[in-house]
Amino acid sequence: MTKAMTSLYVHVPFCLRKCYYCAFYSLSLAEHAGDERDKIREYLTGLEQEIKVRHTEAPTGVSSLFLGGGTPTALNPQELDRLLNFISSRFSFPSTDKDGLFPIEKTVEANPGTITKEKLAVLRHYGINRISLGAQSFNDSQLQIIGRIHTSEDIKLGVELIREAGFANLNLDLMFGLPGQTIEEWQDTVRQAVSLAPEHLSIYGLSLEEETPLGRQYDLSSLSKQEKPPLPDDDQQADMYEWVVSFLETQGYIHYEIANFAQPGFEGRHNLSYWQGKDYLGLGPGAVSCLDAVRTKNVQDVDLYLNKLASGIKPVGEEVESLTREQQISEYVMLGLRTTKGIDIKLFEEKFKINIQDIYGYKLVNYIDRDLLLLNEGWLRINPAYLFVSNSILRDLIL
Amino acid sequence: MAQASSKIRNFSIIAHIDHGKSTLADRLIEFTGTMSTRELKEQVLDSMDLERERGITIKLQAVRLQYKAKDGETYDLNLIDTPGHVDFSYEVSRSLAACEGALLVVDAAQGIEAQTLANVYLALENDLEIIPVINKIDLPSADPEMVRKEVEDVIGIDASEAIMASAKMGLGIEEILEAIVKKIPPPQGEDEKPLKALIFDSKFDSYKGAIPYIRVLDGKVSKGTNIKMMSSGKQFEITEVGVFSPSMIVVDELKAGQVGYIAGSIRNVRDTRVGDTVTDAERPATEALPGYRKAVSMVFCGLYPVESSDYDKLKDALEKLQLNDASLMYDNEVSAALGFGFRCGFLGLLHMDIVQERLEREFGFNIITTAPSVIYQVNLTDGTQIAIDNPALLPDVGNIESIEEPMVRATVMLPSEYIGSIMELNQEKRGNFINMDYITAARVNLQYEIPLSEIVYDYFDQLKSRTKGYASLDYELIGYKEAKLVKLDIMLNGEIVDALSFIVHRDKAYFRGRKLVEKLRGMIPRQMFEIPVQAVIGSKVIARENIKAIRKDVLAKCYGGDISRKRKLLEKQKEGKKRMKQVGSVEIPQEAFMAVLKIDD
Repeated sequence: MTKAMTSLYVHVPFCLRKCYYCAFYSLSLAEHAGDERDKIREYLTGLEQEIKVRHTEAPTGVSSLFLGGGTPTALNPQELDRLLNFISSRFSFPSTDKDGLFPIEKTVEANPGTITKEKLAVLRHYGINRISLGAQSFNDSQLQIIGRIHTSEDIKLGVELIREAGFANLNLDLMFGLPGQTIEEWQDTVRQAVSLAPEHLSIYGLSLEEETPLGRQYDLSSLSKQEKPPLPDDDQQADMYEWVVSFLETQGYIHYEIANFAQPGFEGRHNLSYWQGKDYLGLGPGAVSCLDAVRTKNVQDVDLYLNKLASGIKPVGEEVESLTREQQISEYVMLGLRTTKGIDIKLFEEKFKINIQDIYGYKLVNYIDRDLLLLNEGWLRINPAYLFVSNSILRDLIL
Repeated sequence: MAQASSKIRNFSIIAHIDHGKSTLADRLIEFTGTMSTRELKEQVLDSMDLERERGITIKLQAVRLQYKAKDGETYDLNLIDTPGHVDFSYEVSRSLAACEGALLVVDAAQGIEAQTLANVYLALENDLEIIPVINKIDLPSADPEMVRKEVEDVIGIDASEAIMASAKMGLGIEEILEAIVKKIPPPQGEDEKPLKALIFDSKFDSYKGAIPYIRVLDGKVSKGTNIKMMSSGKQFEITEVGVFSPSMIVVDELKAGQVGYIAGSIRNVRDTRVGDTVTDAERPATEALPGYRKAVSMVFCGLYPVESSDYDKLKDALEKLQLNDASLMYDNEVSAALGFGFRCGFLGLLHMDIVQERLEREFGFNIITTAPSVIYQVNLTDGTQIAIDNPALLPDVGNIESIEEPMVRATVMLPSEYIGSIMELNQEKRGNFINMDYITAARVNLQYEIPLSEIVYDYFDQLKSRTKGYASLDYELIGYKEAKLVKLDIMLNGEIVDALSFIVHRDKAYFRGRKLVEKLRGMIPRQMFEIPVQAVIGSKVIARENIKAIRKDVLAKCYGGDISRKRKLLEKQKEGKKRMKQVGSVEIPQEAFMAVLKIDD
């Protein structure tokens, strides 16, 4: 069997300003005012080095590209040009996917506050065919509370520019469970988003991370008694989720993964490859790769990253995870069951040389009997009604 | 009388918790140079971590002190330490039986407590010489003269020569040692007679096997002696004899009057029964020592492994614990909800708590403890009577004529200002007043007849909280009495969970059922479906709560950089679930099985 293609992720660790809930590695350009262009230049130099050293890790070509962050569009047109130039000159991209049906998916993440005609033109020039726009909310006061740099008006303008530039595949990210958010406000956000007719919607519940301003603000152990809008509780969040699932279905979107919805044919192929347990190469500071069941993570610091590359070594951190067979199976199941299609049990058996029912035995039967898992036509999936409580099942299937 | 034993004194210390027994023991060890100050860890005798943490003595311990007295002679003083808590009076009686005298330590500020009194009576019954020691005289609130009078009035012994001491400051230590030498009689017994030794405790050592702790009454034992256990007739060749200093030190022989240990590849724990008599196989004694009465289990509960596969390990662990703790009883039990486990009998709640904690700490188990019960005598309609130590086994109501429950005489000593509050408590606990007398103008001795089940429930905690910790409790079983008792079952998701059933007085059933159901609703985490929690008596539902189905339990997003972290999160959650027991389709956390005890929190 020929080796499958690898998906490629490139991390751009810069934002104009960090959002209050964000735990991703990214530098705030506002905090580096004055020498921010130097910082970006250093990063690009490093990335160029890394691509030189590592492009061989995708020997049979790249099946999809995802430029994420941070905010890739925080770079100016010249910087974006340089970045995309490295990538397209070193990696081989087939013109269509393996079925020959679609062009290779190439996504760039964007923040509505950073979009210009010029930048979009550069992206188009390099064959970028999908924009993932971090809208998050159409309620300005909520956008402010979570530290977004844009307004709802900026989102609409951004979408207009994106469409004008000729992009036919647009994703909007939306968040529910925001501080003080009511279900009515959430419904309004979703309706406004749908009125912009995106081909794809990613819908996340806000999760508070410890090391973020919002996480600290809502930390129960913190003594600060400042007035803050209450977070919707689990039941309210479940109401928001259930509503959006049924609403989007009426609007012609297919719910194909816990947090993702698409018009037919517009499922995100890069992300699907994660859920299908395929290999991925991640470049840039803090990016994670998983190749042949070995997972590495690049050092999460631009300076360290540059130092490593300057001395000619791969910029990966010390923690190298060689996944055991049990861990591979656990992840495959954990990821596969996120999709509404589920796990192709024949494919599973081909991959792991064992039938999935032989691994889980009675446990699986029990879940199927209770209608929590559904098994039909060779696919094993979570009953859609239980997707929002899927951890209760998944943790039982971890080996 | 043989010459050598005139230089031996065997004694124990009787004291209430916190009256300074352990500190005093430390000072005695230090003063006699048995251990250097450097070696002396705080409270040497409380060797279990648990004992140090809780500041109590659970296991009796022994130590030999070599003391050069003022008369120029060197004496072997064997101190056999005793626990102070009401649960452990059985252990106390064991150590007293190996002694000729006892130090009665009383706190100069607090006076005599109920448990001390009970232990002194035990000592007097054993004809022990009592040496009163009034401790903590350095405290600003000390009133040694009042306490001296209390000792005389309450116990009725001469306290004119009571020793004034402060173990903390090192005051009175030499006087105590001199008094031990002068007042406590040397052990009777003859080296030349056939060997007769009492096993008063034992421990298990993975290399040496079971090690009995003995007090030699007559004869002697040394390496090479063939001994015989008089109850079983089993014989063992002795490979080592020694004394406690306080760690075990090998000696040539143990003679009449001495206290020490013997070892001889005794593999089976059951062959070293506490209370048994050890004799010489070649030259056996004609009759055994009286031994001990069997420890009476007061409180029973089920112990189950959370992981069913740990059953055999739990069995081994209980067997090992029993070797160190002869008062622990256990028997096989099967629960519909929890599978295979054990019904265990304990001396009291503290004892139960300690056994549970030792199993978890020393053997690394996750165990489920069911709510404690007492033994009920059930009179059936066919005229027969059965004893029930597990509420789940109570026969159908139609077959029951009446139920009798165990009653205790509870003695509470307390400052008189709290009389009203404690009488009220006793009333709530279905107690009947027996007697009240004033020890002094400020202290009262209160006696009630109370159902043991009420004592087990939360009496001790209530007593302490209502008297700011100033009351002390002692109780003894006095018999059975008929009461209007019912079995209360808990149904989860429509099915009775037998391990949650309990027997309760009819008048309290509604209240406790209501509270327990509320408590369980809070303790059992939300699951994939709604779970009704019901309290039922027979077929009548008296309380109901619903545990709503969980609605959010999800990883918001999961892309390339998140996968490892998310898998680890699920792995961790899976570990956490191991402390939950799957009963039918419901997952129940360990602590829920004890919820009935916590419903007044």
